[in-house]
Amino acid sequence: VLVACLAAGATTLVMSAPPPDPRPAGAALAARQDIRIELNGPGGRQLRFGLPDIVVAPGDLELKSAAATIADVLWNDLDFEEEFYMIRREASASVPVTAVIADLPVTRWAELGADYVVVGSAQRSGTKLTVEIRLVGVRGDAARKIVNGEGVAYNCVVTSPRACAHAISDSLHKLHGIDGVAQTRLAFVSDRGGELVAGALSRGSKEIYISDYDGANQQAVTANRRLNISPSWSPDGNLLAYVSYGPDGPDVYVKSVYEAKQAWRPAVGGLPNYFPAFSPDGTKIAFASSRDSAGLYQLFVVDRDGKTPPRRITNSRSADYVPTWSPDGTKIAFASDRTGQGTPRIYVTSADGVGLEVLPCTSKCDRPSWSPTGEMIAFTCGTGQPGYDICTINLRTREVATLTDGTGVNEQPFFAPNGRHIVFSTTRYGKSQIAIIDIKGKLQRRITEVGNNSFPSWSHARR
Amino acid sequence: VVLVAATAGVAACGGNKPPVTTPATPDPFPRPADPAPPVRPPEPPPRPVESPTPPPIPTNTPITADPLAAMSPDDINRTATLKPVFFVYDSDQLDDAARQALNDNAQTLKKYAAWVITVEGHCDERGSAEYNLALGDRRALAARNYLVSLGIAAERVKTVSYGKEFPFDPGHDEPAWAKNRRAQLMVTSKQP
Repeated sequence: VLVACLAAGATTLVMSAPPPDPRPAGAALAARQDIRIELNGPGGRQLRFGLPDIVVAPGDLELKSAAATIADVLWNDLDFEEEFYMIRREASASVPVTAVIADLPVTRWAELGADYVVVGSAQRSGTKLTVEIRLVGVRGDAARKIVNGEGVAYNCVVTSPRACAHAISDSLHKLHGIDGVAQTRLAFVSDRGGELVAGALSRGSKEIYISDYDGANQQAVTANRRLNISPSWSPDGNLLAYVSYGPDGPDVYVKSVYEAKQAWRPAVGGLPNYFPAFSPDGTKIAFASSRDSAGLYQLFVVDRDGKTPPRRITNSRSADYVPTWSPDGTKIAFASDRTGQGTPRIYVTSADGVGLEVLPCTSKCDRPSWSPTGEMIAFTCGTGQPGYDICTINLRTREVATLTDGTGVNEQPFFAPNGRHIVFSTTRYGKSQIAIIDIKGKLQRRITEVGNNSFPSWSHARR
Repeated sequence: VVLVAATAGVAACGGNKPPVTTPATPDPFPRPADPAPPVRPPEPPPRPVESPTPPPIPTNTPITADPLAAMSPDDINRTATLKPVFFVYDSDQLDDAARQALNDNAQTLKKYAAWVITVEGHCDERGSAEYNLALGDRRALAARNYLVSLGIAAERVKTVSYGKEFPFDPGHDEPAWAKNRRAQLMVTSKQP
């Protein structure tokens, strides 16, 4: 099998550096020379993983609970990325659990279809939690062979089992050449704290929230009881730029996500300002403003600190709005209603505003989001009344794909940092909610449940 | 077909005059067919409400006899004295009903010269959130420009767009959309 895989061009990888946090611990476990690992299923098919319970010493309920959470979250993380086929934990619940590789019931696992089993064991010392993960072969010559060195131990905290699972998931994906997103975060807008009463003339409020990529740990970043929309992460994941409706109108604010610092307003020189987007190097922010002509949005670029006046980069007679940067920072795509008929299109210009290209569009094309790989742009595509769906265009082949099927209004796509998924807002559940699809359109996760939620944005930083 | 339905919905809405003698807070968008009572803030004590065609005020009547003149901006807004202006789908054009509502609003603003207002532009849920923020801006500006053409001082009229962020009716049908495609005039302060 391995030979066949190699002949078929199977990915051959060298164990990567330890994940930043939690870090592999224990010299013996972490002592990994450059072990080459073959990870492909027979005939190049998707590898199948089993994930039994993580083994812990009996009697410690908190440890047992943390280990159970790690196993469940790790399963979800690995399942989400769709790189490996994950055997359902219910299906393998009757397989005897052991941390002794010699005792691993490989025949049972093979019967369940597994190629590899993620064997985990956990110990604690105070709040310190050490989780040892060994990826063990099941079939043929690979049976009972550990493929991630001699196993990797992760330094975790017993009260943060989800973070522990996310770190393990990212390092298992790294074995297969995938930059996992399990440690990344989302930002979005929610009215859950100030939902508008139907029929009331008073204004509700919407605040900026962040969460883990899977929707866990949702928390508000703003608390000003105003309308706050359109968050954009800085590349390092430490700042959010967003629009807040202050006393003098909508303006771009930049705020530290994790430190209690005063927000600042970089888009000096006029109002209103909308749709901030951090440049890929984090030094600049593109935004739309009608400062020069009431009601007519045009695009501007300003340095992140607002120390120099914003530079206008478009000059048109119709609204130019929602900029998104190419990953190399040289181009900006945006939406504009230049036909003047309520049918916006996606345009691409250089970051200096030189040159202009319109992308093919059969109906309404709005709210572009450039993929991190650079080859695609996702956008909101008008498909009917009131329907909007999520579309992508391949910039090389010009091929357009519609990823959602008209169930509810689907809009505001934003790519995962590895380009394999898209987070978007949808009314398919009733109120507007955040959900994630893969780039083939398969629904993967519903992120929000409470209130109306919109304007999702995905951080590239791992925390 | 959609535009016809939209126009009909607006016409129906525009035809609904605000109640003029209701002592409690009037619903600016009455829906007689709706069996559910509209959710309202706690009702203030009954107040006499300004009639749309007020009888001439005797010249010796002190201004404090006019309850609207003494009200705070929030209370004025609760009376819905300033009429909402409705639009057809994806349009910032003022039709006859919209201009009539603004004519009435201009008369009110001339009478209460201290009022400073913000025209809020709103949209229905069709169209992207981002597109609708621009559309709401254009609707608010259209209403503002018409008020200014009627002699209302420009500095008394600010504008803001809420796009589709704050629908008046959260429904997903034309009757709801017709109520949500609006410019809403809110008193935000009073000049000394």
